[in-house]
Amino acid sequence: MENIYQPHLAQIVDIQQETLDVKTFKLKFKDPSLQDSFDYKPGQFVEFSVPQEGEATFCISNSPTRKTTIDCSVKKMGKVTQALHELDIGDMVGIRGPYGNGFPLNELKGKNLLFVAGGIGLAPLRSLINYCLDNRADFKAITIVNGARTSKDLVYKTEYEAWKNAKGTQLHLTVDCQENNWTCMVGVVPKILEQIQPACKDSVAIVCGPPIMIKFTLPVLLKLGFCPEAIITTLEMKMKCGLGKCGRCNIGNLYVCKDGPVFSFAQLKRLNYEL
Amino acid sequence: MIRIFKKEEFNKAVVSWLGEFQVIGPKRIGNKGLFYEPIEAMEDLYLGPGITVEPMKKFFLIPSEYLNSSSVPEKNKRLIVGANPCEARGICLLDKVFDSEYKDKFYIDNRQRTTIVGLSCIAADEHCFCTSLGGDPTDTRGMDALLFDQQDNFVVEIITEKGSQLFGALGKELEADEKKEWQKNKAKKKGLLKKKINAPGSLGHIFENEYWKEVSAGCLSCGICTYLCPTCHCFDLVDDERKKLRCYDSCAFSDFTLETSGHNPRPTKKERYRQRVFHKFDYFKTNFGENLCVGCGRCIRSCPVKIDISQVIANAPI
Amino acid sequence: MLKKLKDKAKELLKNKQVDLFIGYKRAADKISAAPGFITQEEQADSLIWDAYCVYNLASYLMEFPGKKKAIMVKPCDARAIIVLLQENQIKREELFIIGLECSGVIDQKRGLAFDEKCKNCQLPASGLYDLFIEDKNKKDKPAKPDDFDEYESIRKSEAKSLVQRLKFWEEEFSRCIRCYACRQVCPMCYCPKCVAEQTMPAWFSKAAGLNGNFSWNVTRAIHLAGRCVGCGECERACPVGIPLREINKKIEKDIKELFNYETGLNIEQKPLLSSFDKSDPDEWIK
Repeated sequence: MENIYQPHLAQIVDIQQETLDVKTFKLKFKDPSLQDSFDYKPGQFVEFSVPQEGEATFCISNSPTRKTTIDCSVKKMGKVTQALHELDIGDMVGIRGPYGNGFPLNELKGKNLLFVAGGIGLAPLRSLINYCLDNRADFKAITIVNGARTSKDLVYKTEYEAWKNAKGTQLHLTVDCQENNWTCMVGVVPKILEQIQPACKDSVAIVCGPPIMIKFTLPVLLKLGFCPEAIITTLEMKMKCGLGKCGRCNIGNLYVCKDGPVFSFAQLKRLNYEL
Repeated sequence: MIRIFKKEEFNKAVVSWLGEFQVIGPKRIGNKGLFYEPIEAMEDLYLGPGITVEPMKKFFLIPSEYLNSSSVPEKNKRLIVGANPCEARGICLLDKVFDSEYKDKFYIDNRQRTTIVGLSCIAADEHCFCTSLGGDPTDTRGMDALLFDQQDNFVVEIITEKGSQLFGALGKELEADEKKEWQKNKAKKKGLLKKKINAPGSLGHIFENEYWKEVSAGCLSCGICTYLCPTCHCFDLVDDERKKLRCYDSCAFSDFTLETSGHNPRPTKKERYRQRVFHKFDYFKTNFGENLCVGCGRCIRSCPVKIDISQVIANAPI
Repeated sequence: MLKKLKDKAKELLKNKQVDLFIGYKRAADKISAAPGFITQEEQADSLIWDAYCVYNLASYLMEFPGKKKAIMVKPCDARAIIVLLQENQIKREELFIIGLECSGVIDQKRGLAFDEKCKNCQLPASGLYDLFIEDKNKKDKPAKPDDFDEYESIRKSEAKSLVQRLKFWEEEFSRCIRCYACRQVCPMCYCPKCVAEQTMPAWFSKAAGLNGNFSWNVTRAIHLAGRCVGCGECERACPVGIPLREINKKIEKDIKELFNYETGLNIEQKPLLSSFDKSDPDEWIK
């Protein structure tokens, strides 16, 4: 029987410094056959092991249509992430996965998509955005609203040009306060949504960001006419096993690791979501 | 298959099993209580009234276990003698978590190399409430064989092939009058329990009720209830000197859901105690059709402040 | 006694002198006591006071910062309040302390009365109380024999060899399941992040093996040096029956002999290990 807790060895082949405390690690499995067979959906995550430190949960931030490497964006916060930030290209780590339900691609096909991201919340959405752009004909208009506290905190800056120029795609960047040389919008993400007034007809909103951003974005989307079934988010909770066994990441009777991390707000309301 | 044999014959059989298995059974440790300990001699094995402090789940979901593939697993056969029907049924509930989607080979290997011989309860105390949750002192779920103490002899109800291998040659089959007496004794056992409560159907509509603050006010977030519960299974995965350690964890602990950012979705005792009750009597039922509680009463007996989960659900304002 | 207590509770709540009354009420099994948290005058009738009132309610004081609270305590529990005040964890002006003259409490798990804690209780009736309720029916305790030694069991252990003592504790700690109940019931264990929960670095193993168990129990005992008030809750709560008081008592004895200090008896005293006196014995700083 397979050991479900055993990570597979992977090597860091590239590191991209996104912001002061966020790095994107690009990984390749040590076993090349694993690299080929590793298949995942946008929105799924992996349990990342750093030798001698422990495991942490990261979503896979590159689209499965572009999987030369497996990308994880990591914010330096605690024991495992700090140790991870000390690692170099060539170092070995462990990966278990992919876990989770991923985004409901079939429900998104043929719809207008509104992506709303805050800070590192853009990481899981980037996987889906690039998937949609690589399957452009399956989706209608795409609007991306990406905000951060300051321009230094914006991630995936190298993607913005391609997103701006993609067919039928709009990109709105915003920071909390005005800065020198900043020509895009200013204001927190919920305020920006109120300004842009995205249409809700035939649309699905995909939201990801810190809890405080979600708390204030949700009422704005509801006011704009999005119904709770059409607002989906990907949640983060403290996770350990990733397999629905250790019992810690449940919301109601569903586990964020096994039955999520993607949920609609209609689901979360039914589940007594302890925000 | 049901067989009857004298206690002396049983004692001899246990001695012979000592050579074949690692035998584990309830042992009295001073005035501290009954604990599952390795049995080396017949005198150590306690098969009287009473219930162990810790449940036998610790032999399947091991309290501190290394999960690396390189860890050499124990292979020896084990025999647990004297398990209560309530906690054997608890193991069946744990099977739904660990032997379903994503099979946990550590748990499953431990299950496969262990034979469980139960002892039908000789007495029940004021904290037992298995009959309120679909169990009873004669329940055979989770057992390979179930013993009934009838003063000078034992009757054994053999459930599985493993049980048959142990008891198949012991004693004899029951005569008609012996069977009648055994069934009479069996029927009496259901009356051993004094406590009867109505388990709620679902609790979802009282999630936001102040009731949870009241019942959790005395809770000290100590974790005893979860550690001693035959069905609680929450664990932690940590790196312990380059090995992946799985150790018990508790939803009662304040840092159970504490995220590195500092945000905690269950910041106070109210949310944590509510989570424990809901997990057992609502969420697990929604997912698997049964309550995640077998009514053994261990949590009530050992709670330092006498929080009684049976009263909490009996008095819930549904 | 009980009537006086209830009347006082009602009065305090009615006049809004306190927002909360922490006391004992009857548990669900109709025999034991359970902690009760009373905010309304009418609820005061549920208060009880008898030999089942075992818990040290001082553990709850830190859960209600900013609230004016009244608490009913036995003299042994009151020591914990003194230490919490000395360590600035609670404010005196937020407390109304009701002391109760106590004839001993029962430990149900181990049969009848607490072994030494109550039998040899030498605590005076006086203390830091806003109100002390006497027991008119209190029987006089038998006088202590002249050669009474409260540390008798510790001296017996000290006489044993190191190997014998190690064997004893290895056997006891092998049963430790690291449930941390000893820490949670202790009024002195209030660290927001316990040393056992630290990850950077992880000071000792979380595995319930002898290594980690020794580290945990000994570290906790040392963190309680000079602070443990001897309420015995840790030993009572331990589900596997480890005699935790023995470790704390040994440190208590050493502290009494070295510094002539007893914890939690005098509010004027400073906490032992966070204050110094020029006359303190030391060989290592000259």
